[in-house]
Amino acid sequence: MEQQISSITELSKSQAPSFANYELDAAYDEMFEHDGTARAQYRPLFNRLQELAPSELKQRQQTADIAFLNQGITFTVYGNNEGTERIFPYDLLPRIITAEEWTKLEKGLAQRITALNLFLKDIYHEGRILNDGVVPRDLVYSCKHYRREMRGIRIRRDIYVSVVGTDLVRLNDGEFAILEDNLRVPSGVSYMLANRQVMKRVFPGMFSSYNVQPIDHYGQALLSTLRALAPPNRPDPTIVLLTPGVFNSAYYEHTFLARQMGIELVEGRDLIVHDNIVYMRTTGGLRRVDVIYRRVDDDFIDPLTFRPGSILGAPGLFNAYRAGNVALANAPGTGVADDKALYAFVPAIIKYYLDEDPILPNVETYLLSDDKQRRHVLANLDKLVVKAVGESGGYGMLIGPHSTAQEREVFKQLIESDPRNYIAQPTLALSRAPCFIDGRVEARHVDLRPYILYGENITIVPGGLTRVALRRGSLVVNSSQGGGSKDTWVLS
Amino acid sequence: MLSRVADSLYWMSRYLERAEHTARLLDLTLNLTLDQDASVEVERWQMVLDSLRLPKPEAADAYQLTQYLTFDLRNKDSLVACISAARENAGQIREQISSEMWEHLNQLYLMVRRANIETIYNQPHGYFGPIKEGSHLIQGITDSIMSHGEGWHFIQLGRYIERVGLTTSLLDAHFKSMLKSDKLTAGGQDYISWVALLKSCTSFESYCQTYTADIRPERIAEFLLLNAESPRSVRFAAKTIQTSLETLSRINSKLKPGRAQRYAGRFRATLDYAQVDEIMADNIHNYLENIQRQCGQIHTAVHQQYIAYSVESALAH
Amino acid sequence: MFYSIRHITRFSYSSPVSESAMEVRMQPRSEANQKCIRFDLATQPRSKIQGYRDHIGNIVHHFSIPGRHQQLKINAEATVEVTPALALPQALPTQAWHDLESLCASDEYWDYLVPSRYAHSSELLDVFKKEWNIERRDDPLTLLHEISALIYEEFDYAPQTTSVDSTIDHALEERRGVCQDFAHVMIALGRDLGIPCRYVSGYLYHGGARDRSAADATHAWAEAYLPDFGWIGFDPTNNIMTGERHIRTAVGRDYADVPPTKGIFKGKANTELSVGVQVSPTEAPPPGEEMIQMHTWISEPAQIEDDLQQQQQQQQQQ
Repeated sequence: MEQQISSITELSKSQAPSFANYELDAAYDEMFEHDGTARAQYRPLFNRLQELAPSELKQRQQTADIAFLNQGITFTVYGNNEGTERIFPYDLLPRIITAEEWTKLEKGLAQRITALNLFLKDIYHEGRILNDGVVPRDLVYSCKHYRREMRGIRIRRDIYVSVVGTDLVRLNDGEFAILEDNLRVPSGVSYMLANRQVMKRVFPGMFSSYNVQPIDHYGQALLSTLRALAPPNRPDPTIVLLTPGVFNSAYYEHTFLARQMGIELVEGRDLIVHDNIVYMRTTGGLRRVDVIYRRVDDDFIDPLTFRPGSILGAPGLFNAYRAGNVALANAPGTGVADDKALYAFVPAIIKYYLDEDPILPNVETYLLSDDKQRRHVLANLDKLVVKAVGESGGYGMLIGPHSTAQEREVFKQLIESDPRNYIAQPTLALSRAPCFIDGRVEARHVDLRPYILYGENITIVPGGLTRVALRRGSLVVNSSQGGGSKDTWVLS
Repeated sequence: MLSRVADSLYWMSRYLERAEHTARLLDLTLNLTLDQDASVEVERWQMVLDSLRLPKPEAADAYQLTQYLTFDLRNKDSLVACISAARENAGQIREQISSEMWEHLNQLYLMVRRANIETIYNQPHGYFGPIKEGSHLIQGITDSIMSHGEGWHFIQLGRYIERVGLTTSLLDAHFKSMLKSDKLTAGGQDYISWVALLKSCTSFESYCQTYTADIRPERIAEFLLLNAESPRSVRFAAKTIQTSLETLSRINSKLKPGRAQRYAGRFRATLDYAQVDEIMADNIHNYLENIQRQCGQIHTAVHQQYIAYSVESALAH
Repeated sequence: MFYSIRHITRFSYSSPVSESAMEVRMQPRSEANQKCIRFDLATQPRSKIQGYRDHIGNIVHHFSIPGRHQQLKINAEATVEVTPALALPQALPTQAWHDLESLCASDEYWDYLVPSRYAHSSELLDVFKKEWNIERRDDPLTLLHEISALIYEEFDYAPQTTSVDSTIDHALEERRGVCQDFAHVMIALGRDLGIPCRYVSGYLYHGGARDRSAADATHAWAEAYLPDFGWIGFDPTNNIMTGERHIRTAVGRDYADVPPTKGIFKGKANTELSVGVQVSPTEAPPPGEEMIQMHTWISEPAQIEDDLQQQQQQQQQQ
């Protein structure tokens, strides 16, 4: 099945020992054509890598790792009582996207986010798309992230989702497809920014020889996006980032972004709501807050409206929001649009609101609440990927080809007891990219998460986070499950 | 600055100061009692407990007391409990302090947690010494790396308010037990005690520079209370507290001086114009208690003014 | 018929609390045969009261009290006009089941057809259904009448045996409860039959009638949606149809959507809650407070989830 790249194998004997183990299979390879020649955009990188001895590469990898550790770029893994801090594994070699590829991605993502925003506005107001039967009403109403409290609430600029992280994969034919929309509290953008900083330090020459589009303005762009959401009568708005606190796995990112934007990092206990105005408690007195970039789940933002026991939010926050005195990014209730079962309807949603065909395709998806589709899936569990609709982070997932009979039996029962809660998709061969593993360059599966900002207009910093499944053959890229990341270069 | 952040900085600093003090006190006490008879030893430990304002645990020998004051987490003032609390406060606001501060505080924490009474009792200096050094290092980094903005002033307040409390308690405990004998012979028990007092305030050398090695209780009181230059004196602390409060008031553009600032001004004035002979002639115990009360007032006023002010009054402004 | 209603709620705390935030659902609705002519709400300590209409059309008032207080009193007064309800036939044609079917497939009644927090099916409910042979037969109206009568006959009215957050299983097991439990049982049974059902909280004017429910408290009942007739009220506590004596304040899927008061405060204190209600025909002036008999019960200390670390970890970061 797997063929060695002939030209590389030859090279390996003489000049490029780093590539000796590099294999090509059916999956699209980011660096090499099927015949083993390097793609044009990767050629300078490939040539440079052949010049570098593995020991040199190893040394640069160490330099990079130390840079991450020193900057405290870590995430927290919980297993026992005490969380452990780990650096998010960083792969030395950049993933390169051509300008042409990027233009299409940019258009496709903007189209998708525009449609999803219109969808959210619609289902929380008239519900035309439900009345017209394009999206089944029960799919929306039964979603645990659907917030009835949001019905009829007018929000600034009608923007529900201001910060999005969309997961894309590249299929065998080289085309990108959407795997998942993350519309609640997408994370990982700090790694995207940190990867670039480290890359510039580790491979300054190579970086400057390519014409890579910059991403450093993300913090500024996020700030303008948030500012655009401020109540219209607040010309100089106070913007804060609401974090669950130091024990949250993404706390590093929260501090990083707050610093990048120069805004206050607050916790729920710093906020007070009085007469529908939100304040933060500072040493100089109460200071009014106008926009909250919240990294706290819907359920926890306001114990008066949502989960009563929550101490991570502020009582009365939602009433202030309803009154238009404070903006929340993202709006509560956006999770209904990134539900994995609703995902199957996104092409129809795009068509319905924009009267356009989707620029970026979906991955084929089986809805398990449908009897016929469920029968098909249950008969083919060993070939498919099953996902729980409301989960993220690679949890609640069955990868058929890599599963045991026992695991499949567990999922069969889970599906039968709550079919609405699961979907299935074919096992995708994610594209593979060269990674530096144990002193050699090897191919590993990758995905791509660009970050989209929606304020006065739509901004997508070129690139995103390329996540890597570092375990050989693995398809799971999540940081909590052995994933790493690499810098993503979009050429100009 | 967020009130919560200011509060965490303040307490981080207080706990660190307290831990350093306890480390020094235990180091000296264990060293002093090495070659002394049992009755003196009992008296000395009693004085340590008094100075830390802790009740005496039942049937406690030196070993048990060292365990109690160092490792016992049920004792909230134990060394390990203080360092844990300092680290916990710092951890809540990691983004506000420099990474060097956090790293060293974390290292200090890991070091004190790794040891136990069995491993340190035979060589206590090998344990307490590095704790003092670690604390000095963190304070040095704080002063030299952190920008001297609002956060740094809350750290200053914590450090000096704590220091006043610790120093005055220590003085009080010494005067209570030593006042009986008025003659000091070099090398005698009391002489050793007074030197130990100075050493536990890291002030022995600077005392000698001011007064020579002639050890006299009233001079010690004068030095630790009223010396204008020593950063270990209460007067110096009062000056620092007042300066920090003035700066905080300016940063937060308060037009009128708040209560904390008024208390601090009065506190400093009483020390600036005090005479040690008057203090001694009157009643030093009352005097020390009065200082502690004033310091307590400043603490409460800072808390009410910057941290836990009532929402109702803040809204009225 | 005009009514004047006075509804007093008093929270007494065992020690002072501050930063109270509260939502109140007490304003009578204006719809169908009912119209709210006047509504006044005041609190002690005083506060600025704000309001909004929630997604079910209930008027919600809310306020915050930042300062320290050991007691919070809410005084709601309303004047309401109620006209006789639409006359219903004795029974509907069997065809109504079919109409109901198409209604449910096409329209916005999804929320009132699926189980909700307090009104859901359970094993005990299945047993009850079997025991009394509750299944689709005759026509929806006749069956609903039967269910209302059945609850009236089978359950004892027993105040203070269940609490606001009791499940229907508790009532089914004991075969007793209060109006809230009976409404939830009826709603669960109705939804199970494919009839949209919702929960109504409000007041009942007794005026000498021999009702089981207490005269000086808030009341609750169920509404079912019937083709051609709309929302029809059934009061299983008293085994009557709702009529000129019932005053609706809020509707929802179940109690969880419409608690008369919902609040949170800062401080460690036990809460004692007293509620008094008086409904009188409005020819008489609104009654003074001393005439209203207050009912008091002491709540469990509020369970605050104070495991900050755990909540911080639970947050999904996508």
